Amino acid sequence: MHTGLVAAVVTVALLAAVSGVVVALRNRAPGDVTLVLAALGALLSVVQSVAAFVDLAQGRRPPETATYIGYLIGIVVVLPLAIVWALAERTRWSGLVVAVGGLTVAIMTARLVMLSRGASA
Amino acid sequence: MPEPRPVAGSAPEGQQPRPTASGPGRVLVAVYAVFALAATSRAAFQLATDFSRAPLAYLLSTFSAVVYIVATVALASRGSRARRVALTACSVELAGVLVIGTASLLAPQDFPKATVWSGYGSGYGFVPLVLPVIGLWWLRRTARTPREAAANGAARGSRRG
Repeated sequence: MHTGLVAAVVTVALLAAVSGVVVALRNRAPGDVTLVLAALGALLSVVQSVAAFVDLAQGRRPPETATYIGYLIGIVVVLPLAIVWALAERTRWSGLVVAVGGLTVAIMTARLVMLSRGASA
Repeated sequence: MPEPRPVAGSAPEGQQPRPTASGPGRVLVAVYAVFALAATSRAAFQLATDFSRAPLAYLLSTFSAVVYIVATVALASRGSRARRVALTACSVELAGVLVIGTASLLAPQDFPKATVWSGYGSGYGFVPLVLPVIGLWWLRRTARTPREAAANGAARGSRRG
Protein backbone atom coordinates (compact mmCIF):
# COMPACT_ATOMS: atom_id res chain seq x y z
CA MET A 1 0.00 0.00 0.00
CA HIS A 2 1.24 3.48 -0.86
CA THR A 3 1.28 5.67 2.23
CA GLY A 4 0.43 8.87 0.38
CA LEU A 5 -2.50 7.27 -1.42
CA VAL A 6 -3.77 5.65 1.77
CA ALA A 7 -3.68 9.01 3.55
CA ALA A 8 -5.52 10.67 0.66
CA VAL A 9 -8.22 7.98 0.46
CA VAL A 10 -8.85 7.94 4.22
CA THR A 11 -8.86 11.75 4.47
CA VAL A 12 -11.26 12.34 1.56
CA ALA A 13 -13.53 9.43 2.55
CA LEU A 14 -13.78 10.71 6.13
CA LEU A 15 -14.39 14.27 4.90
CA ALA A 16 -17.23 12.96 2.72
CA ALA A 17 -18.62 11.10 5.75
CA VAL A 18 -18.44 14.19 7.99
CA SER A 19 -19.99 16.32 5.26
CA GLY A 20 -22.81 13.80 4.88
CA VAL A 21 -23.50 13.83 8.64
CA VAL A 22 -23.47 17.64 8.69
CA VAL A 23 -26.05 17.98 5.89
CA ALA A 24 -28.19 15.30 7.59
CA LEU A 25 -28.06 17.23 10.88
CA ARG A 26 -29.08 20.40 9.02
CA ASN A 27 -32.00 18.43 7.59
CA ARG A 28 -30.89 18.94 4.00
CA ALA A 29 -30.22 16.67 1.07
CA PRO A 30 -26.51 16.37 0.27
CA GLY A 31 -25.26 19.14 -2.00
CA ASP A 32 -22.27 19.52 -4.30
CA VAL A 33 -19.63 19.53 -1.56
CA THR A 34 -20.68 16.17 -0.16
CA LEU A 35 -21.16 14.59 -3.57
CA VAL A 36 -17.87 15.88 -5.00
CA LEU A 37 -15.99 14.63 -1.93
CA ALA A 38 -17.67 11.23 -2.29
CA ALA A 39 -16.85 11.09 -6.01
CA LEU A 40 -13.24 12.09 -5.32
CA GLY A 41 -13.02 9.39 -2.66
CA ALA A 42 -14.37 6.86 -5.16
CA LEU A 43 -11.77 7.91 -7.72
CA LEU A 44 -8.91 7.78 -5.21
CA SER A 45 -9.92 4.32 -4.01
CA VAL A 46 -9.77 3.08 -7.62
CA VAL A 47 -6.25 4.52 -7.96
CA GLN A 48 -5.30 2.89 -4.66
CA SER A 49 -6.58 -0.53 -5.74
CA VAL A 50 -4.89 -0.31 -9.15
CA ALA A 51 -1.59 0.61 -7.48
CA ALA A 52 -1.98 -2.31 -5.06
CA PHE A 53 -2.67 -4.70 -7.94
CA VAL A 54 0.48 -3.47 -9.70
CA ASP A 55 2.44 -4.33 -6.53
CA LEU A 56 0.78 -7.75 -6.41
CA ALA A 57 1.70 -8.38 -10.03
CA GLN A 58 5.30 -7.54 -9.17
CA GLY A 59 5.31 -10.32 -6.63
CA ARG A 60 4.78 -8.54 -3.30
CA ARG A 61 2.08 -10.71 -1.78
CA PRO A 62 0.74 -10.41 1.77
CA PRO A 63 0.07 -13.67 3.64
CA GLU A 64 -3.72 -13.33 3.31
CA THR A 65 -3.62 -12.61 -0.40
CA ALA A 66 -7.15 -13.92 -0.99
CA THR A 67 -8.82 -11.60 1.53
CA TYR A 68 -6.58 -8.75 0.41
CA ILE A 69 -7.71 -9.10 -3.22
CA GLY A 70 -11.34 -9.37 -2.13
CA TYR A 71 -11.10 -6.08 -0.24
CA LEU A 72 -9.20 -4.38 -3.09
CA ILE A 73 -12.08 -5.16 -5.45
CA GLY A 74 -14.87 -4.58 -2.93
CA ILE A 75 -13.68 -1.13 -1.85
CA VAL A 76 -13.99 0.46 -5.31
CA VAL A 77 -17.76 -0.10 -5.58
CA VAL A 78 -18.67 1.30 -2.14
CA LEU A 79 -18.74 5.05 -2.81
CA PRO A 80 -20.18 4.85 -6.36
CA LEU A 81 -23.06 2.73 -5.00
CA ALA A 82 -23.49 5.10 -2.04
CA ILE A 83 -23.72 8.08 -4.42
CA VAL A 84 -26.33 6.35 -6.64
CA TRP A 85 -28.36 5.22 -3.61
CA ALA A 86 -28.16 8.70 -2.04
CA LEU A 87 -29.31 10.42 -5.24
CA ALA A 88 -32.22 8.03 -5.88
CA GLU A 89 -34.14 9.52 -2.94
CA ARG A 90 -32.73 12.89 -1.94
CA THR A 91 -33.58 13.55 1.68
CA ARG A 92 -31.59 14.17 4.83
CA TRP A 93 -31.04 10.41 4.98
CA SER A 94 -29.03 10.59 1.73
CA GLY A 95 -26.32 12.40 3.67
CA LEU A 96 -26.12 9.50 6.12
CA VAL A 97 -25.93 7.05 3.20
CA VAL A 98 -22.87 8.93 1.91
CA ALA A 99 -21.50 8.92 5.47
CA VAL A 100 -21.86 5.13 5.69
CA GLY A 101 -20.02 4.81 2.36
CA GLY A 102 -17.19 7.15 3.39
CA LEU A 103 -16.74 5.46 6.75
CA THR A 104 -16.71 2.04 5.09
CA VAL A 105 -14.02 3.06 2.60
CA ALA A 106 -11.87 4.47 5.44
CA ILE A 107 -12.26 1.27 7.48
CA MET A 108 -11.63 -1.00 4.48
CA THR A 109 -8.49 0.99 3.66
CA ALA A 110 -7.26 0.53 7.23
CA ARG A 111 -7.92 -3.22 6.90
CA LEU A 112 -6.05 -3.29 3.61
CA VAL A 113 -3.04 -1.67 5.27
CA MET A 114 -3.13 -4.26 8.07
CA LEU A 115 -3.44 -7.08 5.55
CA SER A 116 -0.56 -5.74 3.46
CA ARG A 117 1.61 -5.68 6.59
CA GLY A 118 0.84 -9.32 7.25
CA ALA A 119 -1.78 -9.02 9.97
CA SER A 120 -4.65 -11.49 9.89
CA ALA A 121 -8.04 -10.03 9.02
CA MET B 1 -32.95 5.51 -11.53
CA PRO B 2 -36.73 5.96 -11.63
CA GLU B 3 -38.33 5.10 -8.35
CA PRO B 4 -41.39 2.87 -8.85
CA ARG B 5 -44.42 4.64 -7.49
CA PRO B 6 -47.65 3.03 -6.44
CA VAL B 7 -50.23 3.36 -9.19
CA ALA B 8 -52.73 6.07 -8.32
CA GLY B 9 -56.01 4.57 -7.20
CA SER B 10 -54.69 1.01 -6.93
CA ALA B 11 -55.01 1.12 -3.17
CA PRO B 12 -55.99 3.97 -0.91
CA GLU B 13 -53.03 5.90 0.39
CA GLY B 14 -52.60 5.15 4.06
CA GLN B 15 -53.52 1.47 3.82
CA GLN B 16 -50.27 0.33 2.20
CA PRO B 17 -47.37 -0.56 4.48
CA ARG B 18 -44.59 1.96 4.12
CA PRO B 19 -41.72 0.91 1.82
CA THR B 20 -38.77 -0.42 3.81
CA ALA B 21 -36.25 1.40 1.61
CA SER B 22 -37.54 4.90 2.23
CA GLY B 23 -36.48 7.56 4.73
CA PRO B 24 -34.23 6.10 7.45
CA GLY B 25 -34.64 2.74 5.72
CA ARG B 26 -32.24 3.95 3.05
CA VAL B 27 -29.46 4.13 5.62
CA LEU B 28 -30.36 0.65 6.87
CA VAL B 29 -30.17 -0.73 3.33
CA ALA B 30 -26.81 1.00 2.88
CA VAL B 31 -25.39 -0.62 6.03
CA TYR B 32 -26.75 -4.01 4.94
CA ALA B 33 -25.11 -3.52 1.54
CA VAL B 34 -21.79 -2.82 3.28
CA PHE B 35 -22.02 -6.10 5.16
CA ALA B 36 -23.10 -7.95 2.04
CA LEU B 37 -19.99 -6.57 0.38
CA ALA B 38 -17.67 -7.21 3.34
CA ALA B 39 -18.87 -10.80 3.75
CA THR B 40 -18.73 -11.45 0.01
CA SER B 41 -15.23 -9.98 -0.27
CA ARG B 42 -14.10 -12.28 2.51
CA ALA B 43 -15.83 -15.36 1.21
CA ALA B 44 -15.28 -15.28 -2.53
CA PHE B 45 -11.52 -15.41 -2.64
CA GLN B 46 -11.14 -17.48 0.50
CA LEU B 47 -13.31 -20.15 -1.10
CA ALA B 48 -11.45 -19.90 -4.37
CA THR B 49 -7.95 -20.22 -2.99
CA ASP B 50 -7.74 -21.41 0.62
CA PHE B 51 -10.83 -23.56 1.04
CA SER B 52 -9.00 -26.56 2.51
CA ARG B 53 -7.39 -24.45 5.26
CA ALA B 54 -10.62 -23.77 7.15
CA PRO B 55 -13.63 -25.17 5.32
CA LEU B 56 -16.13 -24.58 8.15
CA ALA B 57 -15.20 -20.94 8.63
CA TYR B 58 -15.19 -20.26 4.91
CA LEU B 59 -18.53 -21.97 4.37
CA LEU B 60 -19.97 -19.87 7.19
CA SER B 61 -18.52 -16.74 5.60
CA THR B 62 -20.23 -17.68 2.36
CA PHE B 63 -23.51 -18.41 4.13
CA SER B 64 -23.43 -15.06 5.93
CA ALA B 65 -22.61 -13.34 2.64
CA VAL B 66 -25.70 -14.88 1.02
CA VAL B 67 -27.91 -13.90 3.98
CA TYR B 68 -26.67 -10.30 3.83
CA ILE B 69 -27.19 -10.10 0.06
CA VAL B 70 -30.74 -11.47 0.33
CA ALA B 71 -31.56 -9.10 3.21
CA THR B 72 -30.15 -6.10 1.32
CA VAL B 73 -32.12 -6.80 -1.86
CA ALA B 74 -35.32 -7.62 0.04
CA LEU B 75 -35.14 -4.50 2.21
CA ALA B 76 -34.46 -2.40 -0.88
CA SER B 77 -37.52 -3.83 -2.67
CA ARG B 78 -41.22 -3.14 -2.31
CA GLY B 79 -44.11 -5.49 -1.79
CA SER B 80 -45.31 -8.08 0.68
CA ARG B 81 -43.15 -10.84 -0.77
CA ALA B 82 -39.98 -8.78 -0.37
CA ARG B 83 -41.11 -8.01 3.17
CA ARG B 84 -41.48 -11.71 4.01
CA VAL B 85 -38.07 -12.49 2.50
CA ALA B 86 -36.50 -9.64 4.47
CA LEU B 87 -38.13 -10.89 7.67
CA THR B 88 -36.73 -14.38 7.09
CA ALA B 89 -33.26 -13.10 6.19
CA CYS B 90 -33.05 -10.84 9.25
CA SER B 91 -34.25 -13.69 11.50
CA VAL B 92 -31.70 -16.11 10.05
CA GLU B 93 -29.06 -13.41 10.46
CA LEU B 94 -29.92 -12.89 14.12
CA ALA B 95 -29.92 -16.64 14.77
CA GLY B 96 -26.63 -16.94 12.87
CA VAL B 97 -24.78 -14.27 14.80
CA LEU B 98 -26.05 -15.67 18.13
CA VAL B 99 -25.23 -19.31 17.32
CA ILE B 100 -21.87 -18.67 15.62
CA GLY B 101 -20.95 -16.05 18.19
CA THR B 102 -21.60 -18.49 21.04
CA ALA B 103 -19.95 -21.41 19.24
CA SER B 104 -16.83 -19.38 18.46
CA LEU B 105 -16.46 -18.56 22.15
CA LEU B 106 -17.17 -22.10 23.42
CA ALA B 107 -15.09 -23.95 20.81
CA PRO B 108 -12.51 -21.50 19.45
CA GLN B 109 -10.42 -24.38 18.07
CA ASP B 110 -13.18 -25.14 15.56
CA PHE B 111 -13.07 -21.55 14.29
CA PRO B 112 -9.42 -21.04 13.35
CA LYS B 113 -10.40 -18.38 10.84
CA ALA B 114 -12.71 -15.55 11.78
CA THR B 115 -16.09 -15.08 10.12
CA VAL B 116 -18.27 -11.98 10.19
CA TRP B 117 -20.27 -13.56 13.02
CA SER B 118 -17.36 -14.81 15.20
CA GLY B 119 -17.48 -13.37 18.72
CA TYR B 120 -20.89 -11.87 17.96
CA GLY B 121 -19.30 -9.74 15.26
CA SER B 122 -16.65 -8.26 17.58
CA GLY B 123 -14.33 -7.82 14.59
CA TYR B 124 -16.92 -5.49 13.08
CA GLY B 125 -17.73 -3.40 16.12
CA PHE B 126 -20.64 -5.72 17.02
CA VAL B 127 -22.63 -4.18 14.16
CA PRO B 128 -23.55 -7.73 12.95
CA LEU B 129 -25.29 -8.27 16.31
CA VAL B 130 -27.17 -4.96 16.30
CA LEU B 131 -28.08 -4.90 12.60
CA PRO B 132 -30.64 -7.75 12.53
CA VAL B 133 -32.36 -6.32 15.61
CA ILE B 134 -32.70 -2.94 13.91
CA GLY B 135 -33.76 -4.68 10.69
CA LEU B 136 -36.53 -6.63 12.43
CA TRP B 137 -37.65 -3.53 14.34
CA TRP B 138 -37.75 -1.51 11.12
CA LEU B 139 -39.76 -4.21 9.31
CA ARG B 140 -42.24 -4.24 12.16
CA ARG B 141 -42.47 -0.48 12.26
CA THR B 142 -42.98 -0.04 8.52
CA ALA B 143 -45.50 -2.91 8.42
CA ARG B 144 -47.99 -0.68 10.17
CA THR B 145 -49.84 1.47 7.71
CA PRO B 146 -49.61 5.22 8.26
CA ARG B 147 -53.22 5.25 9.47
CA GLU B 148 -52.49 2.62 12.10
CA ALA B 149 -49.32 4.40 13.10
CA ALA B 150 -51.36 7.54 13.62
CA ALA B 151 -53.89 5.64 15.73
CA ASN B 152 -50.88 4.12 17.53
CA GLY B 153 -50.88 2.49 20.93
CA ALA B 154 -53.87 0.20 20.92
CA ALA B 155 -52.89 -1.85 17.89
CA ARG B 156 -49.30 -2.28 19.02
CA GLY B 157 -48.25 -5.92 19.20
CA SER B 158 -51.40 -7.27 17.59
CA ARG B 159 -49.90 -7.22 14.11
CA ARG B 160 -47.08 -9.39 12.93
CA GLY B 161 -44.10 -7.40 11.59
